[in-house]
Amino acid sequence: MNIWLLAACAVASSLVLCAFMCLRGTPERRLVGLEMTGLIVILSMVLFTVGMGRLILIDLPLTLAILSFGGGLVFVRFLGKYL
Amino acid sequence: MSIHHPITEAILLVIVVLGAWTGVIGMLRMKEPTQALHYLALPAVGGVALVIAVFAETGAGQASFKTLAIAFMMLAVNSVVAHATARAFRGRDIGHWQPRDGDHFEFVRDTKEFEE
Repeated sequence: MNIWLLAACAVASSLVLCAFMCLRGTPERRLVGLEMTGLIVILSMVLFTVGMGRLILIDLPLTLAILSFGGGLVFVRFLGKYL
Repeated sequence: MSIHHPITEAILLVIVVLGAWTGVIGMLRMKEPTQALHYLALPAVGGVALVIAVFAETGAGQASFKTLAIAFMMLAVNSVVAHATARAFRGRDIGHWQPRDGDHFEFVRDTKEFEE
């Protein structure tokens, strides 16, 4: 295990706390937890990609970063108007 | 051309990990959702350190520039989403997001000026 995979595991382990935030509390707090989860997943995917030496997989976190923008706005709109 | 330097990469990756963890812990510790929203910036700042580390590891290749695009998306887009989220929270609380009389913001003008 190289230092990149070690960092990836360290970053990915914080997803447990994000899940804790997403699963309890008010809808506002859950939404913030969801947005944080997206950021953490993007970071850990980049770290895993470089750590495993399969740089072609870097497209996945790039796609996730682009799509999480739209997804986040949809959730925000839904929360603001309907929930 | 990569400037593979393990110590530099290790320091940069520690910044990434610390950014992620402080962001998550700070988000959890805050009582108000709007306060928790501010901690979304910390992992995004860690993304900048990640870009430098990837450039140092793999050189100026396709993967490095894609990581640069990811960091740009995290910094630029995240601020837009955070603003929209805060606006939605305020809209849920008071029915609209415009400033009210008595709000303690220096830049808020008296709403009577708008009515006139």
